[in-house]
Amino acid sequence: MSEAGSWFERQPLWFKTAVFYEVHLRAFFDGNDDGSGDFRGLTDKLDYLQWLGVDCVWLLPFYPSPLRDGGYDIADFYDINPDYGTVDDFRHFVDQAHQRGIRVIADLVMNHTSADHPWFQASRHDPAGEYGDFYVWGDDDTRWDEARVIFVDTEPSNWTWDPERGQYYWHRFFSHQPDLNYDNPHVQRNMLDVLRFWLDLGLDGFRLDAVPYLYERDGTNGENLPETHEFLKRVRTEVDANYQDRVLLAEANQWPGDVVAYFGDGDECHMAFHFPVMPRMFMAMRREDALPMIEILEQTPAIPENAQWGLFLRNHDELTLEMVTDEERDYMYAEYAKDPRMKLNLGIRRRLAPLLDNGRDEIQLMHAILFSLPGSPVLYYGDEVGMGDNIFLGDRDGVRTPMQWTGDRNGGFSRADFQQLYLPPLMDPVYGFQAVNVEAQLRQPNSLLRWLHRLIALRKDHPVFGLGTYEALRPENPRIFAHVRTYEDDTVLCVHNVARSAQAVELDLSRWEGFIPEEMFGRTRFPRIGELPYLLTLAPRGFFWFQLRKETGE
Amino acid sequence: MTDDSSLIEFITSQRWYGSKTREVGSATVVDRAQLRDDLEVQLVEVRFETGTHETYQVLADGRGFDALRDDANARALLDLMRAGETLPGSEGAVEFASLGSVSEPQVARLIDGEQSNSSVVFDDALILKVFRRVEAGINPELELLRFLTEAGFPNIAELAGWYAYVGGQMEATLGIMQRFVPDAEDGWERALAAIAGGDEAFLDTLRRLGEVTGRMHSALGSDPADPSFCAEQTSTESLGLLTATVDEEIERVFLSLPDNVPDLDPIRGRGEEVRERLRLLTNVGGTGRVIRVHGDFHLGQTLWDGNDWVILDFEGEPARSLPERRRKRSPLRDVAGMLGSFGYAASAAEVLRDTPAPDDWEERARDEFLEGYRATVDRSLVPSGAAMDKLLKVFELEKAVYELRYELNNRPDWVRIPVLGLARMLEEEVPV
Repeated sequence: MSEAGSWFERQPLWFKTAVFYEVHLRAFFDGNDDGSGDFRGLTDKLDYLQWLGVDCVWLLPFYPSPLRDGGYDIADFYDINPDYGTVDDFRHFVDQAHQRGIRVIADLVMNHTSADHPWFQASRHDPAGEYGDFYVWGDDDTRWDEARVIFVDTEPSNWTWDPERGQYYWHRFFSHQPDLNYDNPHVQRNMLDVLRFWLDLGLDGFRLDAVPYLYERDGTNGENLPETHEFLKRVRTEVDANYQDRVLLAEANQWPGDVVAYFGDGDECHMAFHFPVMPRMFMAMRREDALPMIEILEQTPAIPENAQWGLFLRNHDELTLEMVTDEERDYMYAEYAKDPRMKLNLGIRRRLAPLLDNGRDEIQLMHAILFSLPGSPVLYYGDEVGMGDNIFLGDRDGVRTPMQWTGDRNGGFSRADFQQLYLPPLMDPVYGFQAVNVEAQLRQPNSLLRWLHRLIALRKDHPVFGLGTYEALRPENPRIFAHVRTYEDDTVLCVHNVARSAQAVELDLSRWEGFIPEEMFGRTRFPRIGELPYLLTLAPRGFFWFQLRKETGE
Repeated sequence: MTDDSSLIEFITSQRWYGSKTREVGSATVVDRAQLRDDLEVQLVEVRFETGTHETYQVLADGRGFDALRDDANARALLDLMRAGETLPGSEGAVEFASLGSVSEPQVARLIDGEQSNSSVVFDDALILKVFRRVEAGINPELELLRFLTEAGFPNIAELAGWYAYVGGQMEATLGIMQRFVPDAEDGWERALAAIAGGDEAFLDTLRRLGEVTGRMHSALGSDPADPSFCAEQTSTESLGLLTATVDEEIERVFLSLPDNVPDLDPIRGRGEEVRERLRLLTNVGGTGRVIRVHGDFHLGQTLWDGNDWVILDFEGEPARSLPERRRKRSPLRDVAGMLGSFGYAASAAEVLRDTPAPDDWEERARDEFLEGYRATVDRSLVPSGAAMDKLLKVFELEKAVYELRYELNNRPDWVRIPVLGLARMLEEEVPV
């Protein structure tokens, strides 16, 4: 009875009420004292994740890789990067996680491989061989010029010349990441084998990286093509037919109207990230105006019953500004990236706490809003204690520094010599490990970590946050973001003040006349809802969550 | 199709039903397996108004949901274990298994009034415990009993069989069978009787209980080859995690104290004081190593068979989730549970038997038990000196808070016992 998978009740929609936690394996905990995090280290920290209330760990790529793109440049789909351990270590980790009621999903890059991958090397050397057609080759570097260049800071074109083969190869990301050719059925079959390999080892699903770009077609921008959806549906069919309770999470940095296509009719991806809502939350905070959030949620189409949005404040990438207007982007840069070093591509490479000037009220308010929206929240390691970033490190390394466990040497991340660490831990007086660490925050009842733990526990007591309907209230006061979520007999009213000053708001709650709002953290009963607009006053950046209770009570 | 309301009514009125304070929305049979012509095991999902749910095991026959009352039905379960049968359900299956030779049962007797299970005794030789609340995963009781039985640990009632649900909805232990200890009296009753009768010899048996407990812990951490039963070093944040866990438990219980229970008066409004006490206890100290523990250790989980103690019920605290109950913990958590129950007994003697315990009874009971425990436990499992005393206090505090919540939900008449315990803890000095 101890095989992986036997520790859960069957629950095909588990991901809709789950709290996800994104882990950079290299950064989390060093189990073998070599300066780099690994599976043994992560396994040691499962008690912490269990305590925090994490339902599902999302692992960044852990495959062998030359690491020119944080491991998203995969050189072997069937093994573990030796820095992180072995396939057995992986299996042990998944089993230990499952025993604690924690599921595990992993990043998988379907679109491309590392240029070091044997498939690509074979493809270069032997165009007529088995792998000759595994990548997208062309004699002409002007084809498909409607397709935008994504990494504008480093890549002049989506084509790069390969002198060995004497042809150009296609790559939507870095030139060392050639795109796989999905028009080749062997590529499709090989990638399905890869999925099956990890699912058979007990993995609970995948975050499918860079999923919109699988195919190329003339006269298109090469994004969200029907062929791409068709292949993803094939993946879903394969998974549903052979495995129980697994999840496919699409990374499609697109407008909501395009992203919903990745859910299909409930027969494609189970989840997809909602990218545009996130920058608008930051915008709302600066402008002290709830409208950007209300608008983007209004523009978000309905999704199938068995699908879910993944919502996040920050992740391992830059805070992406692809899904905003130029004007909005300028605004975001001006407000959140005052130092040019903070910008990367079309985004801002900073962590949550520094973005919010380390304001505790702001950090809590952002989490409250995130947790109250329809979708499943995805936390980024370290943000639960308010870790900072290091903008002097290259690319996105500045938001991938070692997890800060204690105030001791190397922040408790590793017992290796400081010089051996894969990146230096933060040591500045505000965000450094002596000021910000798990151990200290566990012991402080009012710490951010302890607060977030309570927030997670509260959310898990109320499936309404993951499963319920969403209805925006539109009070006259534009600084108030208020909505009602309903699931079965549970009705929850969430009211957030995005202003820096105290606010009063009148809410039309006439539909719930006679109900008693009970504040969910402190269980305090508020006055009964009557015929008149319901008046609430909120502290600066304050919020209330109420359960609307039917009973008349004391 | 079963009538929803009668099923809800049956389940929610049972002693073993754990969520009496929550409002039930619906009850659905999610899988059922026919065990005999007129006997069915059902997995019933009870949904609460907020949309969360719990799953319960119900044994049904033509007359209703209380089939275990009929001793023919109970004997049928044992027969199936002896035969090692696997019976299909609508989706999953129910697997029965036995260990060693089990003879055919003649007389079956249902024991009433248990907290979270139902038990049937066969011929005063075997006892079958039917788990009511069903959770995915192997039940700790099966896991620990099997390990201790195989390790030859003498002070348990050996495992004789079990049955489990597999596939479909989940994999879960439904019941276990073990040796029945006849003519035994549980430690709780003995303690109350000893206090009422002024029986000094009982305190000597508590020293023995300490020795048995120490040996049990040494055994549970003794197999370096088995990831479940090897002792592990704690991680750097383990004391912090413990502090946070207990602190939040205190906060939660004090937030929801009902206004209309006068028995709560001695601690009402003193939540912050209790939390402050916890901080004083956890500011420094070690945690020793962690192992699988008994999990719900108190006098009521022990039997005196006339010569020695038998430890029962390795399920863990019924109100906690299965992953939580399976977690490796410091063995001192069990010790604290037992020490707490000495205090419970001292208070209960007065409440239940009208005989106040002698002033020094509890302290002497503690001393005897701890002396026995220290003599036998693998010392590498526990911190030494004041660190051990402090860690013990932390667990005692945790236990008292847990008891408070449990009594509020299940036995309001008993609330004053953990209340008195907590109030007394606030008066004590912090070990240095």
